[in-house]
Amino acid sequence: MSWWKLFLPKRASGAQLDSELRFHIDELIEANIARGMPPEEARRRAMLEFGGQEQVKEEVRDVYRMRIMDSAFANVKSSVRFIHKSPSFSATIILTLALGIGANSAVFSAIDAILLRPLPFPEGDQLMFLNQYNLRVKSPQTQLSTLRLEDWNRMNSTFQALAGYYTGDSSETSGALPEKATEAFVTPRFLDVLGVSPALGRDFSPEEQHFGGPAAVLISDRFWRRRFAGDPAALGKKLRIDGYSQSIVGIMPASFAFPSRDVDLWASVPTDAPYAQDRSSTWYTTIGRLKPGVTLAQARANLATVQAELGKQYPKTDGELTVAIEPLKDTTVGGVRSSLWMLFGSVSLLLLIACTNIVTLLLARATQREHEISVRTSLGAPRSALVAQLLTETFVLALAGALLGLIVAGGASRVFGMLAGSLPRVDEIHLDVRIVAYSLLCSVVATLLCGVLPAIRGTTRNLSNSLAQNGRGQVSGRIPLQWLLVGTQVALAVTLLMGAGLLLRSFQALGHVTPGFDASHVLTFHVSGSWGETADMRRLTQRIDSIIETLRDMPGVQGAADSAELPGVPTEFQTELKFAEGPAEPEHKIVAESRFVSPGYFSTMQIPQLAGEPCQEPKLLVSPNSPGGVRVEAGSLNVLVNHSFADTYLSGSNVIGRHLQVVGNAFLRPEHAGEIRGIVGDAREEGLNREPGPTVYWCISAPSPNPYYLVRTHTEPMALAETLRKEVRNIEPARSVFDIMPLEEHLTDAFSENRLRTILLTFFAVTAVSLACVGLYGTLSYTVSVRRREVGLRLALGALREQIVRQFILQGLRVTLLGCLAGCGLAAAFARILSGMLYGVSPTDAATLSAVIFLMLAVAGAASLVPGIRASRVEPMQVLREE
Amino acid sequence: MPIEKSDLLQGTLDLLILKIAALGPVHGYGISQRIRQISKEVLQVQQGSLYPALHRLEKRGWLDAEWGQSSNGREAKFYKLSAKGRKQLASEESNWNRLAGAVSQILETAS
Repeated sequence: MSWWKLFLPKRASGAQLDSELRFHIDELIEANIARGMPPEEARRRAMLEFGGQEQVKEEVRDVYRMRIMDSAFANVKSSVRFIHKSPSFSATIILTLALGIGANSAVFSAIDAILLRPLPFPEGDQLMFLNQYNLRVKSPQTQLSTLRLEDWNRMNSTFQALAGYYTGDSSETSGALPEKATEAFVTPRFLDVLGVSPALGRDFSPEEQHFGGPAAVLISDRFWRRRFAGDPAALGKKLRIDGYSQSIVGIMPASFAFPSRDVDLWASVPTDAPYAQDRSSTWYTTIGRLKPGVTLAQARANLATVQAELGKQYPKTDGELTVAIEPLKDTTVGGVRSSLWMLFGSVSLLLLIACTNIVTLLLARATQREHEISVRTSLGAPRSALVAQLLTETFVLALAGALLGLIVAGGASRVFGMLAGSLPRVDEIHLDVRIVAYSLLCSVVATLLCGVLPAIRGTTRNLSNSLAQNGRGQVSGRIPLQWLLVGTQVALAVTLLMGAGLLLRSFQALGHVTPGFDASHVLTFHVSGSWGETADMRRLTQRIDSIIETLRDMPGVQGAADSAELPGVPTEFQTELKFAEGPAEPEHKIVAESRFVSPGYFSTMQIPQLAGEPCQEPKLLVSPNSPGGVRVEAGSLNVLVNHSFADTYLSGSNVIGRHLQVVGNAFLRPEHAGEIRGIVGDAREEGLNREPGPTVYWCISAPSPNPYYLVRTHTEPMALAETLRKEVRNIEPARSVFDIMPLEEHLTDAFSENRLRTILLTFFAVTAVSLACVGLYGTLSYTVSVRRREVGLRLALGALREQIVRQFILQGLRVTLLGCLAGCGLAAAFARILSGMLYGVSPTDAATLSAVIFLMLAVAGAASLVPGIRASRVEPMQVLREE
Repeated sequence: MPIEKSDLLQGTLDLLILKIAALGPVHGYGISQRIRQISKEVLQVQQGSLYPALHRLEKRGWLDAEWGQSSNGREAKFYKLSAKGRKQLASEESNWNRLAGAVSQILETAS
């Protein structure tokens, strides 16, 4: 007995058959007894006459089994024969489907890995991202102070635990050369929240998490393999990180990459350190794990209550704060969601076009097979069997297409990685059972989409119709349907083409913006520094200043500066400000983007000074013990504002000399004002796709221990990389220089998601247009072959060959135009989905639309030309002779 | 000399079953008896062919099956002709007649 017999219909076996046969035997016995045999003999004879019962039963079961299995096998066998017999036809279908299904599975693999799967942590859906924000300032402040984090953790009732982390770059000097290491500084409970334990060794002990306790680190699998060649004896060894000796207590599993793939070391930050006892020193990005069964809404309500209580307890620091909670997956995935669904929609349209195309092919094919089918019908094959056979053929083709498509999908992660390496979770994309299952599902859907119509139409013709087959009347009914299919393909292709056109135009518009700064010939890099250095701001400032001076003196260098963030790479740091001279509670809120730059920034980035004086670094920078950020104890900072700020908040007059103060819980104490020294031109600092808003530049060369250095070069920027590395080593031998990269490359990377979707959609659109043209070409060729006789007659009656060509081209163009018109409606709907991704072009851009239609018509015209010319070459005499 | 199963033309058994079932609901044993009686013992249907054929015809929807009481009060499975089966019987009967006619004509003419 094979396993598949389990799937047989119940009535084929079992008690019913037994009693049916027993009845027969009993009747035989009785008949024998009636003839006068003794019961024993009667029974023996009956059994003998009946024959092997088991054999009969088996044969009856076969009746049911054969019908199911054999017909399926026979269908598959005949399908394989069919593919064998018409290789080019089958190859066309298989390749079309491979492309359609492959592209679909590829995008699905990204959606599955990035959007659908939980984060790679146990019960990943319980993980939440928490932050605090000030109601009065627009952009959220994402960091938390130690005390508040501990309060939240203690007072809430909806989370199992909360933990915080921040990252920094440090120099590890226990090896031969100083090495830059990315270090994550974590609060207690960090690994508990994530639900991960070290692969080797242990988590931090309680002593290691207290101030003054033994210094310990966890190292990443990658660091372990790189530095210790994967030797377990690394446990207990000491590393020298930023001058402090720390022992390795654990090695994390290779799959663990939180907060990012780059982290090499995790170090514990004690919550009881003296410098952590300030509610406004905010450092931590905060995550938490919900208790089982707790909903997001419950957690939000709970934390709101907790923070309200803290607000009462500490009105000064906590009064205006609110808590925001989002699933960690959502914050990780961010804005990629809409791009991916848009791509998935496009790729599904592409599959639809591919299927429509195949329907046209199969319909034409069905005409050729009419004879075979009518013979089989007349031989008594039921229609369902013929439909099953035709569907099986389509399914075998679709399956072959899907398998080939899997190869396409298998390479998808590499393509995604290549086009947009910054895509979140991109390294989690790979081919697995789910993708294979999805591809198979696609092939079933494709079979139904492609196969049902041709199978039903192919089997409706009856014998008499086929016997009366005579070229003309009999095909005419099918042609309108094929033209409808061609029109559909054109409409869908126009939709995709319109989307691709809009994205391309946005991309082009982005390339043409005047950013207000000059990104060419600028080299950017980091020099390792640690937050610990902010304990002595004077020294930190001196160190950074001396690096900048060295850079400026290098040959080939035009200017050098540093900045907390790169210009043009999307970031946001909105702060609420007020004028020291103005009323304590001003009528209008002043909200501006704050940027932290060294005095040389404007000349290096070539942002023009419009009024006033250049920036000067204040003489006095004194620091408290605050590793969290810059604090200016006394004196006033120099501030430059941009044109937009001066216009918006000061109507352009009396700008210079006024003093700005930061309102609320921000990096600068309210009592420290910045004096406006001048006005500079507007620059697209927060992203090339965003209009410059009011911006305040605070002139601080040490906004963080590890700012971006910017060097303007005379020649190709990367040519200077090695000299620059050497020069920095001369003055800072213990520090590493890393991430050396032209600014323009950063700007390109910032739009990598944009680029990914533009390239992919363009690719899909081009494929769609090609498929539509193949469909048009095929259908028109078919029409020509059907109308050969008519064409021959007309030529014989004196029609010009140009007229014939024109007639067929016009027929192709008419369908294309109708398809375009239908496509416009679809494109309008599609453009609405795209509207959030467009820049500098409206979703209903007339120029793009007309270009798309023109392109479609041009390509369609070209595709119609060949069949048209072929029609005009018909030899009248030959056609008439064929009659 | 009875004609064995293998000698029966393919499809003939089906035709015979349909014809007998057309007379009214009948069980498998009844069918085999009737064939034997009507053919004056010339045709003897093996149960190994009869039951698979019955089930095949039921599967195709030409026969409807129902459990009922036999004449001696026992539970038996009765088969009767369905509407579809009636059509099939008509076409098979005419096919058979044509075939039989053609064959006998050949036999007569060629001798």
